Amino acid sequence: MNKGILSRSPRNLLFIFQVLGLTLLLIYKGKDIDKLTLGTAVGLVLVIYLSNYILTKITSGDNYIFLITTMLVSIGIIMIYRINEGLGIKQLIWISMGIFLFFLTYFIIRKIRIWENLTYIYLIGAYILFIITFVFGDRKHGAINWVNIGQFSFQPSEIIKILLIFILSSYYSNKDRWKEIKYSSYYLMGIIYSFIMLLFLQKDLGTALVFYTIFVAIQFIYEDDRKLVLINIGLSIFFGILGYTLFDHVKIRFQSWLNPWKYIERQGYQITQSLFAIAEGGFFGKGLGLGHPDFIPVVYTDFIFSAICEEMGIFTGIGIIMLFMILVYRGFKIAIAQRNKFYRLLALGISILFGVQSFIILGGVIKMIPLTGLTLPFISYGGSSILTSFIALGILQICSEEIKTKEELDEAGD
Amino acid sequence: MKQEIRRIILVLVGLCLAFLSLIVYISYFQVFKASAIKKNSYNKRLWINEEAILRGSFLDRNGKTLVYSEKKDETYVRHYLYGRLYSHIIGYSYREYGKSGLELQYNNSLLNTSENAAINELKNLVSPTTEGNNIKLTIDHDLQSKARELLRGKKGSIVAMNPNNGEIYAMVSLPDFDVNSLKEDWKTITEDPNSPLVNRATQGLYAPGSVFKVVTAAAFLEKENLDTAYECTGSVNVGGYEFSDYNNKAHGKLDLKGALVSSCNTYFATKSVEVGKETLGDMAEKFMFNNRIPFDLPVKNSQFPYKGFLDKTELAAASIGQGKVLVTPLNMAMVASGIANGGQIVKPILVKEVLSKEGKTIRTNTTEILSMATDPIKANLIKEMMVETVNSGTGTKARIKNVKVAGKTGTAETASGKSHAWFIGFAPADDPKVAVAVVLEEDDSTGGSSAAPIARDIMLHAINNIKE
Repeated sequence: MNKGILSRSPRNLLFIFQVLGLTLLLIYKGKDIDKLTLGTAVGLVLVIYLSNYILTKITSGDNYIFLITTMLVSIGIIMIYRINEGLGIKQLIWISMGIFLFFLTYFIIRKIRIWENLTYIYLIGAYILFIITFVFGDRKHGAINWVNIGQFSFQPSEIIKILLIFILSSYYSNKDRWKEIKYSSYYLMGIIYSFIMLLFLQKDLGTALVFYTIFVAIQFIYEDDRKLVLINIGLSIFFGILGYTLFDHVKIRFQSWLNPWKYIERQGYQITQSLFAIAEGGFFGKGLGLGHPDFIPVVYTDFIFSAICEEMGIFTGIGIIMLFMILVYRGFKIAIAQRNKFYRLLALGISILFGVQSFIILGGVIKMIPLTGLTLPFISYGGSSILTSFIALGILQICSEEIKTKEELDEAGD
Repeated sequence: MKQEIRRIILVLVGLCLAFLSLIVYISYFQVFKASAIKKNSYNKRLWINEEAILRGSFLDRNGKTLVYSEKKDETYVRHYLYGRLYSHIIGYSYREYGKSGLELQYNNSLLNTSENAAINELKNLVSPTTEGNNIKLTIDHDLQSKARELLRGKKGSIVAMNPNNGEIYAMVSLPDFDVNSLKEDWKTITEDPNSPLVNRATQGLYAPGSVFKVVTAAAFLEKENLDTAYECTGSVNVGGYEFSDYNNKAHGKLDLKGALVSSCNTYFATKSVEVGKETLGDMAEKFMFNNRIPFDLPVKNSQFPYKGFLDKTELAAASIGQGKVLVTPLNMAMVASGIANGGQIVKPILVKEVLSKEGKTIRTNTTEILSMATDPIKANLIKEMMVETVNSGTGTKARIKNVKVAGKTGTAETASGKSHAWFIGFAPADDPKVAVAVVLEEDDSTGGSSAAPIARDIMLHAINNIKE
């Protein structure tokens, strides 16, 4: 009873926020808004409200993670629509598809229970996706990580992220199975490093960093061979220095982090434009439609946070950071509560993915750490990013439910 | 099992700390860094806001338009009517090169915006600013043109001011540049070894040479029991260094007046050691040396470094305006003004008023006394010496018919071997209307022969034409 009231009220708060945001957008865009857009937006608000409601009925697990992400999605769509209506409408479609995929993933993962045994399939899948990227890949913002299929383009590395989490989970949840292979942990490390090297060759430093952090965190928690954890950290420092001395694009990123003002017209341009936007916004922002997000490069994806800070202030910015923190916290809570080791690992992997990816890009655009191109999960524009984030969330949703461990299942079978 | 949970929590704590550090950093950035970053000229928002406002005009003291803006095809075009004449005073405002001079210092007035962003936003809600304010200078356009004409072909600076209220009538610095052709000339201007971008009147630090003797004389008058009698033999040895007079001329028996009129180096070198560095240094500081001069444009501090080590030779050199003493032409004009008005150092003023588009006065710069250099009696004594200098001494070329002129010449030796020619003075001596400082940089001539006639023409023009 008590739980019902608690879980219902934030849903209503989110609804109120969305209605207010939508009204603000209507005032800003005025008569330019056509009926289709308005219909889609109202539709989305209702879908999100209903999804949150339905979720409380169908899942016995966590009711908050979907709520948090729909809040993030709402802030993102308001900003994207304000900058570019066309992209805003596209993003509306991506989000609707994302929510659909969230439920689809939820049901598929719930119905089929063979996921922990498919390590080799994940591996092969990941390598195939890498090959596809190299063969058909397009260069965008300096990195080869886009593949065009007809009208649509997608980033295979987004899917590989989820495969990586499945590889790590299936390996560490079932160590007995790998005992017969000597040095299996070393092989695993070699495989993950090959992923990172491939990403590095695509010049996708951000994703490479996300892969490494997920790997090192999972390894830190589950690897029995502690020496390997130290080797891993040592190697990363070694490769970091090597990358800095060998590759210009690494060096440039580092230098434009140390002193972007010196290179303001070239490599420091992006980050300084982002800092201008955040500085102009102050604590409470210029107000929706009153800033100049059009001055910020790649504002829809990597720098969406700067645009939000300019128009909504760092109070909203800090709000977003805290929402991510709560999301990660809920994810870890889910992991600790989960008794099935494979699903616990999945929950950990996904939480770390959300946490690390948002930290790297948020820290990058505010110049706390060197900037590496990444999307901000659930907020940035883009199909690949939104869809995979919702798929990951769907997996996390399943992990939040009580799942029988293997032994229990075996017992039930007997 | 326990260990697993412990490690999971450790990773969670790490991630939470990372997020908290983001919050701390972005708050720190907003509180301490943001305001400075916003002002960077690469921030296009600055220009977007500015380009919607009709920037105010510059007028001279008689209301003559010097610079104005005009709307042309949805954008505002700024017209600098006298591209070179005001290149150091008014300066320029360009998107590519930023702003300089009064265009920079009075930017907010010209745009009618406040420095405070919050106030601006409130103001824009009630009535959006579309027109900026006009700025009326204390400059007299005719005198300014004349001063530049007189200095043409030379390097140096002229400052002419009202000695009583501090209003600057003319301020010229050469070489200058044309603000209208900045785009074409930018490379040549910035690479020119003569640095035309520098406003020599406020930013140029020169050895003053003998014009500094006015300050030294004021210091000597402070010392009551100083024996002012002296016999000049043409040279004197102070602390192992030989000081000599111009052409080694022996001036014979002298008092302070005689020494100033004939600009006797050996006199000042010898007596300054008797007076001591404290007295001389104090007096220099009262004339604003080592002090920041508040002005509408940035001013470099004139230097008289006596607090540290200064031996006898260095003190003797300083007393005749050589060695470690360095001064801006503006400061030297203020020294002349100080003697003219009975010992008060008045704050120089370049902007007379800020006027709204309707012509209403928004802000007036009023006269301020910065320091009391000496008392009226002593100031009067020095004035008489300076009058005599023009009548019969080194400054005869500054004489004006029927007008009593007070002045002091200077010829400062420089490291390059080419001397600076100086003249400071004011007129009429009994009721000063204008004070002037002229410096010809590395002109290799004496102040009496080259700077004095220029100063004379400036003073004459000012007395005849400028209404207060």
